Amino acid sequence: MSETFDTPDVQRAESTATQAVIEPPAAEPASTTKPGEKPRRARPHEIFRDMPLLVKISAVWLILVVFGAIYAKLDQSVFGGALPLQDPNLQTNNFNSETGDFGTGEPLESPSTSHWLGTDALARDTFSRILHGGWVSLIVAGTAAGFGVIVGGLLGSLVGFVRGRTENVIMSLIDVILAFPALILLLALVSIFEVRSLALISIVIGVLSIPAYTRVSRAISLAISQREFVLAARAIGTKPRTILFREIIPNVLPTVLAYALVAAAFVVVVEGSLSFLGLSVQLPQSTWGNMINQARRDIRLNIAQVFWPSLALSLTVLALNQVGDFFQRRFAVRDSAL
Amino acid sequence: MTNSKLYRWLAALLALALLAAACGSDDDDGDAAEETSTETEAEGDGDDGESTVAAGEEAEGDVDTEVEATDVERVVGGEIAIGMEAEIVGMRPWEDTCGSNCYNIFVTIYDKLMESAEDGSYQGWLLDDITPNEDFTAWVGNLKQGIMFHNGVELTAQTIADMFPIQQEGSQSAGQITASGLADVQATGDYEVTWTLSRPNSAFPAYLARAQLGFVFEPGAAADADAFNENPIGTGPYLFEARDLDNETSVVRNPDYWMSDQNGTQLPYLDRIAFRPIPDEGTRLDATLSGTTNVAHTLRQGTIRDARAARDSGDPIILYEFQGNNVGGGMFNVLVPPFDDVRVRRGLTHMNSQENVIEALGGTGISLPGTQWFSPDSPWYSETVAAEWLQFDFDTGVELLTEYVNDPERSDGKAVGDPIDAELSCPPDPTLIAAMQVIEQVWTQSGLVNVELTNYDQQTHIDYALGSDNGFIGNHTTHCWRVATDEDPSTFLNAALGPPTADVAEANGLDPALVSPLNWSNYFDAEVFGSLVAATQTSDFDERYALYESVMLKLAEDVPIWFSGHTATALITDANIMGLNSWELPDGTLGTGHPNAEGRWGQVWIDPAAG
Repeated sequence: MSETFDTPDVQRAESTATQAVIEPPAAEPASTTKPGEKPRRARPHEIFRDMPLLVKISAVWLILVVFGAIYAKLDQSVFGGALPLQDPNLQTNNFNSETGDFGTGEPLESPSTSHWLGTDALARDTFSRILHGGWVSLIVAGTAAGFGVIVGGLLGSLVGFVRGRTENVIMSLIDVILAFPALILLLALVSIFEVRSLALISIVIGVLSIPAYTRVSRAISLAISQREFVLAARAIGTKPRTILFREIIPNVLPTVLAYALVAAAFVVVVEGSLSFLGLSVQLPQSTWGNMINQARRDIRLNIAQVFWPSLALSLTVLALNQVGDFFQRRFAVRDSAL
Repeated sequence: MTNSKLYRWLAALLALALLAAACGSDDDDGDAAEETSTETEAEGDGDDGESTVAAGEEAEGDVDTEVEATDVERVVGGEIAIGMEAEIVGMRPWEDTCGSNCYNIFVTIYDKLMESAEDGSYQGWLLDDITPNEDFTAWVGNLKQGIMFHNGVELTAQTIADMFPIQQEGSQSAGQITASGLADVQATGDYEVTWTLSRPNSAFPAYLARAQLGFVFEPGAAADADAFNENPIGTGPYLFEARDLDNETSVVRNPDYWMSDQNGTQLPYLDRIAFRPIPDEGTRLDATLSGTTNVAHTLRQGTIRDARAARDSGDPIILYEFQGNNVGGGMFNVLVPPFDDVRVRRGLTHMNSQENVIEALGGTGISLPGTQWFSPDSPWYSETVAAEWLQFDFDTGVELLTEYVNDPERSDGKAVGDPIDAELSCPPDPTLIAAMQVIEQVWTQSGLVNVELTNYDQQTHIDYALGSDNGFIGNHTTHCWRVATDEDPSTFLNAALGPPTADVAEANGLDPALVSPLNWSNYFDAEVFGSLVAATQTSDFDERYALYESVMLKLAEDVPIWFSGHTATALITDANIMGLNSWELPDGTLGTGHPNAEGRWGQVWIDPAAG
């Protein structure tokens, strides 16, 4: 392990520091950090207060999506459908063994008090299906972010700190993986291996997310490694491992988390694309993508059934981008440094 | 561009693309208000029909466009663009898979030896006549004289004989040669051809009307198959012009075509036809409504529903509709437990609500529910079979499945009481996805079936059913599928119900040459196959009818195939496209029209007065 965490040569680090200089804008909180001090961390209510209106609305939307998805999932898995939310897979015009008869529901109904967003072509409640579809997006985005932050974040922090041969080898591998178009690679993997489970799809997308996170965290780690408090720690003989875990990673993490929000938007769309192509989770589980796909046939009869899941997808992507952008600005990572 | 920006842009672009893809068919042309004169709209409008009719009855709005002679003056000249469902595999009749899309193109470049008449009989096209010997093991036909290929070579009997070795090697023709029993082709005169069969086949002329053995190509040019694919040579009404893969295949008028109409006007009427593959159903229809194309080809009820609505709202289009024997539904692989047990097959079929499936397919008021491999319009249709077909009965279905599940000797080896497993698979088409979910819901509600829904692309779906890696038994269990055509029953039933493996053939004392990889469900019954063979040994209709009825009754009992609705097809055209339902054979007999959305473009013209 000592070889892995060899203290980087300070002179070399200084000479390469220009490659990854991160100078926060003057107005940003990070800029108020005095030389040798650790960056100050704001409290949640301060962060929310600082948000522009659009970002605040976006944050609220994301909270609604998350709570909606969790509510739908709890209704299904914990309360057995007892909560006031319709069964997302119940075709209300099909045979129902509980009643012993065919239902009286209608396909492609307009919004009503019974079905807030109407019904789809199989007379299923669209509102309920959108909430359940949100769960799929949430899991995939969360898993991808988890993989990215934990594996990619750690890896990037490590190589940005230790540099040398370790960095060269790992970053070369990362570059090779990044050379493949992620969506194409994903399509190939899920179609060849016929992956249809939510967990596996989430993991595959998560693994494919690692390289991007590695690059981001490496860039930040390079910059943090040159900050005065890190140099001071080195100067007093602090062990490299301690510096990594106490000084580098805690300072890399906020920016990587901010990046995770932006990356999550991409992942939500990727999952939507897979679903649209019929390559995501197994039917009849609803996802926003497969709802759009299934509704497009009847777009002339009822455009709303395409509109609602599209709106949910678009707003979520927009919100993730807005909130992610805000946090990226807040943590002052310049794109040019990545 | 950095990663974060790149991802933001990609995310935004993909979101827009997803939305655009979904909304791609929403480009409705609502400007056209001109009333359309059409032969198809008199019978009613299926859009307001909510109930599905019982088997054997006329579906509300079910209106096959009548085939009828017309004295409207033909106009020579003009060009049209046809939106097709898909790009075709290739241009070689003996080698390349040929469905409805391909047929539309092939029929412009090639002529067939035989053709279907309005009454369902097969009559000569390039052949003047064809007659069998007493036991239907040899057929002698005489070709029309003076017919030239596009490269200037004359069509003679030797041409047909020279085609045979190529067809024997062709991946498409070889199967038809086996199925028909064709053993040899000889030129027995300058224009006289003798087809010798290895077994009696009273329906052999039907094979000469099919794409694989019927289309006549120039064998000299076909010696170089790849070059032929780039420049196909037939005797048809149009010359091949160009093929831009996945974009456009075009043909131009053959100035030396041999056929004239009954008024003496040389065919074809049109100067040029462009075939453009437009896979998305809505986009294809919109292309015609907006004037980008002149014709839209479709095999989907949902598109017919939308086209009817467009027509009724004033869009100047004609729907040339057709609903024939072809019927959708699915099949059980009867060699794979638990589907080898008839209780399971009957139980699951009892739990298939045809009405709901047809509604999910968008076919309410358009598609007739299937009960057999023949539509109510077919001369082979049997009311007796329709009455025997399993109706929706959830309790009976549960009873049958429960009996199997609780059987200690159950064939799938699972513990008594455990639900059976069923992988229900369809291609990833929205209509099929909807239909399979309807079935899944009812099967799942029984608590006796673990249903896994899967989607594979069309080719994988077929390969999965073919199962060439495991002796053509197939890797499927329950599979979306279509069966039947409007040709002679022997042309599809003998292959679909023949011995699926050499072992089965051997066990039943049959010639291994009769093994049929096209028996997708692997269902084999010696008595059924015996009836099918017997039906090829007589030309007496009543006798054949009785044999096919007995086959259908047995299939209704053993249910290797379940049905949803008969396939409705249409050619949706500009209001001035004429001739699709009035084309004639060389002797003036009215042709069969436009089965399966297959047009005979050599006799189509543009009527400026109707535009």
